[in-house]
Amino acid sequence: MHTVKRYSRLYRVLITQFFKGIMQSKVDFLMGLLGFFLTQFLGIAFLYLVFQQIPELSGWTFKQLVFIYGFAQIPRGLDHLFTDNIWMVAWRLVVSGDFDRYMLRPMNVFFQVIAEKLQPDALGELLVGSILIVMSLRDGIMIVDGFHIAMFVISILAGAVIYTAIKLFFASIAFWVKVSGPFLSTAYELSNFAKYPTEIYAKGIRFVITWIIPFAFVAYLPAGFFLKESVSVSVIGIECILAVVFMAISYVTFYIGIGRYESAGN
Amino acid sequence: MIEVKNISKSFISPKKYPGLKGTIKGLFSNEKVEKVAVNDISFSIGEGEIVGYIGSNGAGKSTTIKMMTGIMVPTSGSCLVNGVDPCKKRNENAKNIGVVFGQRTQLWWDLPLSESFTILKEIYDVSDEAYEERMEFLNKVLELNEFFDKPVRTLSLGQRMRADLGAALLHNPKVLYLDEPTIGLDLVVKENIREAIKEINEKYKTTVILTTHDIGDIEELCRRIIIIDKGTKIYDGTLEHLKEIYGTKRSISVEVRQYDKVKDIAFDELLQVEKDAYETEYDGEKSVFTISFDKRKIKVPQILSILMERVDVKDVRIEETQLEEIVKQIYLEQKEQAVEELEAAANE
Repeated sequence: MHTVKRYSRLYRVLITQFFKGIMQSKVDFLMGLLGFFLTQFLGIAFLYLVFQQIPELSGWTFKQLVFIYGFAQIPRGLDHLFTDNIWMVAWRLVVSGDFDRYMLRPMNVFFQVIAEKLQPDALGELLVGSILIVMSLRDGIMIVDGFHIAMFVISILAGAVIYTAIKLFFASIAFWVKVSGPFLSTAYELSNFAKYPTEIYAKGIRFVITWIIPFAFVAYLPAGFFLKESVSVSVIGIECILAVVFMAISYVTFYIGIGRYESAGN
Repeated sequence: MIEVKNISKSFISPKKYPGLKGTIKGLFSNEKVEKVAVNDISFSIGEGEIVGYIGSNGAGKSTTIKMMTGIMVPTSGSCLVNGVDPCKKRNENAKNIGVVFGQRTQLWWDLPLSESFTILKEIYDVSDEAYEERMEFLNKVLELNEFFDKPVRTLSLGQRMRADLGAALLHNPKVLYLDEPTIGLDLVVKENIREAIKEINEKYKTTVILTTHDIGDIEELCRRIIIIDKGTKIYDGTLEHLKEIYGTKRSISVEVRQYDKVKDIAFDELLQVEKDAYETEYDGEKSVFTISFDKRKIKVPQILSILMERVDVKDVRIEETQLEEIVKQIYLEQKEQAVEELEAAANE
């Protein structure tokens, strides 16, 4: 309990410093904000154009597709918001030796990595996701009861953990190869497949994104549970198990990697 | 305080071949190259000692420090810092140590320095009272007030170094590791930093381990030095002892009016020593005559009186061997030894 309290206090302190840091340059901050809204606006416009072309896909109606798309954005956004600094491990921190500083402080190393940054860009994904889900609620295509709402929250959290686990695993490879950014980018790109029903892909791809890098489980597969009575709740169960298993594998890999960390010469 | 036993570290990297062809070949080969950075080093350091850890570039200094701080895991051997194995209990060890890497700051770059101290206070769980007390002391020895509210990125190198040193000491660590703490600083700032290190060591009995290329740091701070070369320890002892063994050369330079008179002095006869017991040199442009000799065979006053009696001396300078030269000499001996060993091995 003491540890939880200490870490939540440290998290607050570190994130506050991060915000003070980005506020130091007000111009940068405002430009960033402007760019962010522009990106999101264009994203939504693009989405509208895409869905105008496809009224129906693999047995899913247009409105259901919108829900799946929106539902996919939320775990992605959550992970993006809180753990974006994992990318730096993959691209820079290990090869440059800047990872040293995490090793010198009396705090959990993984905690230090994620507590260094919040990614405000993620608010875009969360915003778009929320808007699309509100639209789905208004259209009445979702099953809404206490159980489904609870599952909705659990599914989103488990999905975010799966994202984090995949990022952490590929970032950890940096301890062996120094820069693992390209591996991480490739793996992360696969998540784009998860925004649409996986039936539209070739078998091989479908297998990979379901069981190897299980992005299908962060969006498309659980989304069905909220749309169709026929879909069993076990899909959420499998999602949670995958989240735990993948996070455990990634975390262990990360720690084995730290043991191999070689720093860098001055 | 610190026990290092038979510690070694080797890095394994894929073998590289030259040229474009080589690069492609390298992609498909599985050959590995092992580079031993630290080879079977042992030493122990007591509480309150200031130890200079020196060696040429790539000798393995930083690697040893990184193993002692818990950044790297040794390939073999063990290390205990204040009874804690830094690799097994990284967190616990981190509370006991302070680290300053001369070329890399630990501070929050974009924020005012004061913010870094606020964060560190939280990270190391420093109580308000302890914080006040430490800050008062740090302000006294490092004069942090001058730039306490300025963003770290706007600090000069000297200021940043003082700030980093202060930050490493906020939690009153038992051991302080300094990796090149005076690199790139001007003389005055260097002097300040050294003074601060001395005061900290005296007041809090902080054990200090210092790597440096600056011989001045060593001479002013360290009673004991450890020298390593190519990953192996080649000297461990006091500075005085080192100077006694290697620093026996003295040289006297005199500025004279008439060289002819100096040239004809037969030092060997006057002092009753062999001709090769000393060396002479003359710089015609500055009219400086230099004689160097072994202080065990010839005494400085003897030379001086001979010179004073015979020539008109305008200026005198007496020099003892600089530590820098001693270190160079040790390296050279090591190298010669290695060459001899190789030759011996080849002859067999």
